[in-house]
Amino acid sequence: CTNRPFFRIVAANSKRARDGKYLEQLGCLDPLPNAHGEKVAGLNLERLRYWLGCGAQLSRPAEKLLGLAGFLPLHPMTVTGAERLRRRRQREQQPEAAPADGSAEPGTA
Amino acid sequence: GKAAKPKPAFTDEAVQTLLYKMTGLDLQKVFRPVKKGLKPPSYKLMTEAQLEEATRKAIEEAKVKLIMPPVLNEREPIDDVLAEDQVLEGTETAKYVFTDLSNSIPHRERFIVVREPNGVLRKATWEERDRMIQIFFPKEGRKVIPPTLFKDENLGTVFQQDRHEDVLNMCVAQFEPDSPDYIRVHHRTYEDIEKHAKYDLLRSTRHFGGMVWYLVNRKKTDGLLIDMINRDLLEDATSLITLYHMLHPECQSAKEAKEGKLQGVDLIKVFAKTESQRGGYIQLALQAYEEAMATSSAS
Repeated sequence: CTNRPFFRIVAANSKRARDGKYLEQLGCLDPLPNAHGEKVAGLNLERLRYWLGCGAQLSRPAEKLLGLAGFLPLHPMTVTGAERLRRRRQREQQPEAAPADGSAEPGTA
Repeated sequence: GKAAKPKPAFTDEAVQTLLYKMTGLDLQKVFRPVKKGLKPPSYKLMTEAQLEEATRKAIEEAKVKLIMPPVLNEREPIDDVLAEDQVLEGTETAKYVFTDLSNSIPHRERFIVVREPNGVLRKATWEERDRMIQIFFPKEGRKVIPPTLFKDENLGTVFQQDRHEDVLNMCVAQFEPDSPDYIRVHHRTYEDIEKHAKYDLLRSTRHFGGMVWYLVNRKKTDGLLIDMINRDLLEDATSLITLYHMLHPECQSAKEAKEGKLQGVDLIKVFAKTESQRGGYIQLALQAYEEAMATSSAS
């Protein structure tokens, strides 16, 4: 269907197109949460280990996913992204707090 | 210290032989036509020897069909945290469930982990595990979400239609033997059968052994005993009481039976006197049986 993403975790030649011919499918990820509120992901760890042993390299989103899964240690960019998000949210809350205080004070005083 | 013999388990050979004898081997019921597409019956012309051969093969196949599904204790809920990363809190909105898809691992040992939105990496609960395994390795007869038939309200309707066997077959296909749902549905079915004395519904099926095990463990064997005597199945009645004594060796009738080495009808009489709540009924049934035997042997 249109606009319904579904990702396949795949071992392929790096020069290939994104959706082109691949060597082997190693798993999948469904980015939309299902009826139980989960994002389902499957990883064929046995074949992953084989390809890593053969000398394959992971793409950045694949590294992040495996970091989340616990197979690899957490990717540093995941941590950085989380901190940036938190800082942005704080910055958004502070300007709201400051004008909100400024407009409430004349009301109370 | 106590040197008590360990209580006989469901899988002991002696227990299994007794339960299997009690299940009976009604070929007509075991090979009752499963509702499939209609086909006209095929007739074969056989000599006597060939007929015996065919019956023997049918008995072999029936034995395979009557293998009892296992009776296990309820499983412990899994509660294991692998990692806690407070850094990730607030980044995601939904949890991620990662399943290991390697082909050569038995389903019990698969790694299925859940990364919660608050950063905690924990092992998945049994229900999540069953769902994920069914999604990636579908098994015939199972659905990803258990059918609403197995809720308590709907079970009552099915029991009124006398379809206990179908419910139990579906339950065996859907759930793992040690899941709480499997055990709950089975217990409900056995309770209902015991309340209405519909023991004959399960008699030649593979669920009979499980039912007898449940009843003997809770000492509710009176109805079943009366039913067996009424149908003239005295060997089954004696095996039922032997099983009862194996499981509850400290009760009165077990001690008396061991002292006197009683057999057959005497065993039942001792049991009716000491252990059962409906002793009167059992003795009445025994009397009726003996009269019937006397008249049939006299005539």
